[in-house]
Amino acid sequence: MTPAGGAVPTRDGALPRSLLFAAAAVSALAVVAVFAFLLWFSLPVFRGDALASLLSWRWQPLRGQFGILPMLLGSFCLASSALLLAFPLALGVCCFAHGAGPVRAARPLLAAVRFMTSVPTVVYGLVSVFLLVPLIRDAFYGSGFSWLAAALTLSVLVLPTIVLLVDAQFRQVQAEIGPSAAALGFSPVQQLLRLTLPLSRRGLAAALALGFGRAVGDTLIPLMLAGNAARVPHSLLDPLRTLTSHIALVVATDSQDLAYASLFASGLILFVVTAFVHLLLRRWRGQAA
Amino acid sequence: MERMLRLFAWGASVLVPAVLLTLLAFLLWRGVPGWSLALFFGDTPPLDAVLRGAPVFDGLWPACLGTVALVLLATAIAVPLGIASGVYQAEFASPRQRAALSFCVDLLAGIPSILMGLFGFALILLLRKTVAPAANTGLLLSAGCLALLVLPYLISTTRLALESVPHELRLAGACLGLSHGQVVGRILLPAALHGIFGGVILAVGRAAEDTAVILLTGVVANAGAPSSLFGKYEALPFHIYYLAAEYQTPAQLAQAFAAALVLLCITGGLFAVARLLRAHLETRWKTGRSQ
Amino acid sequence: MNSCAIRIEDLSVAFGGRTVIDNLNLEIGQGGPTFLLGRSGSGKTTLLRAINRLNECFPGCVTRGQVSLQLGGDWVDAYAPGTVVETLRRQAGMVFQSPNVLPLSVARNVILPLRTVLNLPADECEARMEQALRDVHLWNEVGDRLAAPAASLSGGQQQRLCLARALALRPEVLLLDEPTASLDFKAARQIEELLVELKTRYTLVVVSHSLSQAHRLAEQVFVLRDGGRVERLEEEVFRDKEALLAVMDELV
Repeated sequence: MTPAGGAVPTRDGALPRSLLFAAAAVSALAVVAVFAFLLWFSLPVFRGDALASLLSWRWQPLRGQFGILPMLLGSFCLASSALLLAFPLALGVCCFAHGAGPVRAARPLLAAVRFMTSVPTVVYGLVSVFLLVPLIRDAFYGSGFSWLAAALTLSVLVLPTIVLLVDAQFRQVQAEIGPSAAALGFSPVQQLLRLTLPLSRRGLAAALALGFGRAVGDTLIPLMLAGNAARVPHSLLDPLRTLTSHIALVVATDSQDLAYASLFASGLILFVVTAFVHLLLRRWRGQAA
Repeated sequence: MERMLRLFAWGASVLVPAVLLTLLAFLLWRGVPGWSLALFFGDTPPLDAVLRGAPVFDGLWPACLGTVALVLLATAIAVPLGIASGVYQAEFASPRQRAALSFCVDLLAGIPSILMGLFGFALILLLRKTVAPAANTGLLLSAGCLALLVLPYLISTTRLALESVPHELRLAGACLGLSHGQVVGRILLPAALHGIFGGVILAVGRAAEDTAVILLTGVVANAGAPSSLFGKYEALPFHIYYLAAEYQTPAQLAQAFAAALVLLCITGGLFAVARLLRAHLETRWKTGRSQ
Repeated sequence: MNSCAIRIEDLSVAFGGRTVIDNLNLEIGQGGPTFLLGRSGSGKTTLLRAINRLNECFPGCVTRGQVSLQLGGDWVDAYAPGTVVETLRRQAGMVFQSPNVLPLSVARNVILPLRTVLNLPADECEARMEQALRDVHLWNEVGDRLAAPAASLSGGQQQRLCLARALALRPEVLLLDEPTASLDFKAARQIEELLVELKTRYTLVVVSHSLSQAHRLAEQVFVLRDGGRVERLEEEVFRDKEALLAVMDELV
C-alpha cells in the first residue's frame, strides 16, 4: 500500500515478502497444474478413432466400447433433478427466515442448515443406503439404487450451500430496502414477494449456478446410491452413472488404455463445466460490484 | 399469492429440519448400540494398541490413526501455503496479481474433489512412466491432494480476516513509523488470527470428511495403522463407504454406523469451534468500534 | 512568532482524481499549538496527514508539492525519494480523533512500536514506557494494570495512551486530529492541559472543530476555506471570541 513499504529492508517483525510471493505463486500454479495434467493425459483421446469411441452411447470395456456419453447425460440428469428439488426448498427456507415465518424461528432454522454443511457426505450416503433405498425398493420395484435415491440425497447435500448464499443475498437486499419498505407500509411477506425476491434475481442465479457446480462435482452420493449402471436411464427408478462415479469406478477396476483415456476425458469435461460455472459467477459478481 | 408463499415457506422450513432430524435419529439409533471400546480396538487390548502399537484387526483404530495422519499432513502442507498466499493477496499484491490470484483461487475452489484425486493419480502415472517406475499411491500423495482441496478456503479466509481488521489499526501502525511489512506482521496478522484460525479448523473438517480424493490416491480397506509416508492407509470416511457397500456381518454394519457417528462428532465439533471463533471475532470488532 | 518548523509549498492532494487540497502554502511555527480550523470536508485532516505522508495509506492518493519539516536541526523534505517514510512518521507523531489503541495490553501498546521500530532492548523500552505514561499523567491511573487490555480503559485514558505511544518514540512534531472530539468534557480538558505542557517540547499541530479551544490554546491559527485555500488569522482575531465567531460564520 505504501510505495516505500517494499523498499525498506526487512527488520524484526516484518514479513519476508518474497516468501509470501512464492506461496501465492505456488497456489496459483496449482490450478494450472491440475488443468495441465488433465489436458495432457486426455490428449490421446483426441486422436481419431479414440474420440469416436469415447463419444458414443455404449460402455462395454470387454467388447472394446468406451462411450462416456451415458455418464455425461447421467451427471446432467442427476445434478438438474437434485437442483430442481433443492432450489425451491432452499428458497422456501430463506423466505421463511426473512419474513414469511416467525422472527424467532429464523435463527435456529439457519443454524440447523449451517450444521448440515458440516455433515460428511459419506454420512448422508450411508443413511440413504439403509433408510432411503429400502423405502424406494419397497414402494416401487427394483433394487432401490436409482436416480431417484441419488437425486433426493444429493438435493439434501447441496441445499445448505444454496440456502446460505440466498440468505446472504436477502440480507444484503433487506439491509438496503428494509426501512424504507417498512415505512411505505409493506408487510414482511409483501416486501419479500414484491421487493426482495425480484431484487435478488442475480443472487438467486448465482446460487443456482454454484449449486449446480456442487451437484455435478459430487462423487460419493451417486457412487453409493445411483446403482452405477453405465446406461441411459429411462425413468427415475433406473440406475445411472455420473462422470464422477465413473472416474472412481474406472480407477478401481480397469487398466486398459482407452479406459484410462475415458477417465481423463471425463475429468476434463468436469473441469470445464465447473470452471465455466465459476467464470459465470465471477462475471456476475464483477457486474454487481 | 402471499398465502401461497407463506404456505410454501412453512412447508420447506418444516421439511428441511425434519430430514435433518430423521438423519440424526437414524444414525443414533443404528450407531449408538455399537459404541464400545471393542468398536475401536476389536479384540486387541486398547492400551496395547495405543501405547505399544499392537495391530488392531476389526476395529476403527487404524482408520482413526489414518485420518489423523492424513489430516495432519494435509494441514501441514496447506496451512502455511494458504495463509502466506492470503496475506500476499490481501496486502502486497499489485492489482493485477490480485486479480490473477483471486481468479485462480475461485477456480481451485470450484474443482470437484474427485478431480484432485485424479490429479494425484495422474501424477503417479507420470512418475511411473518417467523417473520412478515403482511409484504408487499412498499417504503423502493423498495429503498433498487434500491440501490442494482445502487451499482455497484457507486463502480466502485469511484474506477476509485481514480485510475485516479496522482501517484505523493500519493507520495507527503506520503513524508510529512501522513499515508496511511490520504493520502486517505485528498488528494486522495478530488481530486477524481468530478469523484465520476459524478457516484452518474448517479446512481440517473438510480434509477429514473428504472421500473422493483419497479414493483415488491410496486409501485401502485393510492396511492397519499407517506406517510410512508412501504406504497405503485406512481412513474413517472410506471405511464407512467401504462397509456400506461390502459389509458381511451385522456387526460390520453396526461398525459402519458407529464410525459415521464418530466422524460426524469430529466434523460437527470442528464446525462448532469455527463458528464460535467467528462470532467472537465479530463481537470483538464491534465493541472495539463503539468505544 | 517562533521560527518556522514546518513549511508547506504548493501542496495539492487528490484522491482518485478528486482534488481535496489545491496549491496550498503554509508555514507552521515551532512550539504552537498551531490550530487548523475549517468546515468538515475542507481538507483539514488531509492537510495534517500530508505532513506525515499518511494519505498514502489510502488508495488512489496523488500528492504534489513540497512539505519540509525541521527535524533534528536539519530540514527534511518529506516527499523526497531519499526520505524514509517510516522515519518521518516516527519523528512526526500523530493522534487521531477516536483513540485507536491496538488490541493489546496497555504496556504492549507503547512497547510494540519501540521494539519493532527502534529495536530497543527490553529494559530501555520499559523505562521509556513509564516516562511516556508519566508525561500524559496516566502512570498513576494505570500503572498497576499495565497488563490489562488497552480497550478496557476509559475513552480519555485511551486517548492519552495513544498520545503516550507517540511520545515514547521521541518525536519532534505532534500532529493531533481533533484529539478531543470523541471525549467527554472532563477528558477533553485533561488533553487540553497536556497540550499546554507539551508545547514547550514539541511542535504541535492541531486540527479542531472547537472555536473555544482554539481561542484558549492557540498560538497560531489557520482557516481552511472550501477549495483548499488557506488563510492565517491574526492574533487579535482569534484572541477575540466575537471576531473569531464572525470569521467562522462567514465560512458557513
